[in-house]
Amino acid sequence: MSFLDALIDHINYIGAMALFVIGLHTVVTHSNLIKRIMGINIMGTAVFLFFVAIGNVTGGVPPIIDQTNPDAVYINPLPSVLILTGIVVVVSITVYSLSLVIRIYETHGTIDQEEIAKMTSEDRDQ
Amino acid sequence: MITQLPIINLLLFLGMALIIPLFKKRSFSLTTNLGLGVLFLVWISSIVLLYHVITEGAFYYQLGNYDRMLGIELLINTFSVLFSLFIVSLVIIIYIYSTGDATEGVAEKEYGRYYILLFILLFAMLGILYTNDLFNTYVFMEILSITTVSIISIKRKKENYTAAFRYVMLNEVGSLSYLFGVALLYMITGYTNIELVSEGVQSGWSLYPANILTAIGFMVTGIGIKAAIFPFHIWLPDAHSTAPSSSSAILSAVVVKVYILIMIKILFRVFGIDIIQAVHIPTVLLVIASIGMIMGSIFAIAQTDVKRMLGYSSVAQIGYIVMGIGMVSMLGLQAAFFHIFSHGLMKAALFLSVGAVIYHKKIRNVNEFDGIGFQMPVAMFVFSIAALGMIGVPLTTGFISKLNLGLAALDAGQVVLIVVLIVSGFLNALYYLPIMISAFLKDNKDQQRVMRVEKIPKTMLVPLVVLGGLIIAIGLFPGELLSLLEAAALSLT
Repeated sequence: MSFLDALIDHINYIGAMALFVIGLHTVVTHSNLIKRIMGINIMGTAVFLFFVAIGNVTGGVPPIIDQTNPDAVYINPLPSVLILTGIVVVVSITVYSLSLVIRIYETHGTIDQEEIAKMTSEDRDQ
Repeated sequence: MITQLPIINLLLFLGMALIIPLFKKRSFSLTTNLGLGVLFLVWISSIVLLYHVITEGAFYYQLGNYDRMLGIELLINTFSVLFSLFIVSLVIIIYIYSTGDATEGVAEKEYGRYYILLFILLFAMLGILYTNDLFNTYVFMEILSITTVSIISIKRKKENYTAAFRYVMLNEVGSLSYLFGVALLYMITGYTNIELVSEGVQSGWSLYPANILTAIGFMVTGIGIKAAIFPFHIWLPDAHSTAPSSSSAILSAVVVKVYILIMIKILFRVFGIDIIQAVHIPTVLLVIASIGMIMGSIFAIAQTDVKRMLGYSSVAQIGYIVMGIGMVSMLGLQAAFFHIFSHGLMKAALFLSVGAVIYHKKIRNVNEFDGIGFQMPVAMFVFSIAALGMIGVPLTTGFISKLNLGLAALDAGQVVLIVVLIVSGFLNALYYLPIMISAFLKDNKDQQRVMRVEKIPKTMLVPLVVLGGLIIAIGLFPGELLSLLEAAALSLT
């Protein structure tokens, strides 16, 4: 049972790691450019989940000071605040790469990495 | 007053980037002159800071006066000031060149946007050097990568879009890996300030070795992707060769170095020599550096496009710097720092002189360089000086950095590394010498051998001559710079 307990205790960390690997796999193996951007987003989500999970305190309450309950244990708000910045960064990267995909579709007529690579090598041979 | 200068430098760059759009209706020379003024102001304040740091010692700057446990802290020591001075000086030279050329392939109405991106790029690079906070470094890194990718894709061409897309994808994988490493360190220490994290890591090393080991792995790999260290170099040649010439010079000579400086900061200030030696990071770095030095040159030999060739040459030269870091000794670090300087100068000179050839003659293929030395003597002369520096001929900075690397390798007792250095030098000669030979010794079919200064703008010629002069001057008198670099290396520990 200790294995299952450990699994349940660390489910956030294991989930984050699994998401990270799924995202990386998507980025590296898929040839569709939009799917690659999705992979980046999944990787980002993994890191954010991990960061927020670190800040959790067992039995903690949200860090809003409550006068009626002076003994309350608050969760650590700092990781959540850092991750707000991280989310903004990943959103802007996503927007930028999506706009690049639009340009690539306009100039190449496809968003498949393999076809683009084939067109580039043909261009270079000429 | 002097302690406020770092934040003033950052704000000057950010402010300059923000006011450029206001001058859209005015003549363009107003924008470039104002930008040059801002660059000179920051250059002077960097010199003042360097003097202050050397005479009075390093100091901290708390943003918004928050405590270092909560807020962002800047650390101004010899390391950060010396390299910010290097970046600003090199960018001034490239900037003057870019006012003549900005531009091959950039539409005229995009010039303003190009300079906005350039100043945000400078803001991010100085921020990375000054900051003493791991998460803040991440934010600046993302600003840097998004501006870099915009500069690459500013030319509206097919290959720029694909190169930029590949750059975004790989760099994003790199930054997210870095952020994962920061999260793992936050987990055991509870801070993002580099010094507090470092204390936590030293005391927590025996308790949580798995955490720290994973963090080192994620951070070194992440930054390695962004710094184009050998197996992760595939994005570099495309990205650097498709960008406009002056920005290729900035990307290759400065931006890549900033990521290597982050790596030095993380290895030596966050983890410390004991931990990185315990997990064998130096061995890994030395092996990939050696393979990169050889393979980068071999790839470069196969290229016909001159800018792609220079891109692959950068991959090999980054190997030299990583080798200096991998020796984890004072001498090795000093040699790595010196090579950051000398490669910055030489690669900027190479990209700018090739840019002048592309501007004047519209040729990019190595085989078309026959007799071009007689039509463009200044550009090809500077190219030759820088190329000889790359090979490691005495009287140039390249020789001094190879000498220092060799001495450091002897000091560490690694004779194999000296063999790698020599072989890599020969390989460099294999692809730089043919260009020089065909430029100066072969005849062009339809041009006579008349030597006269080429007709390109003065603002492009002067920076080239200055760079060529600096390569030789620092190669002849490296003593002052070496003692400054030693102080910078000492300030890391």
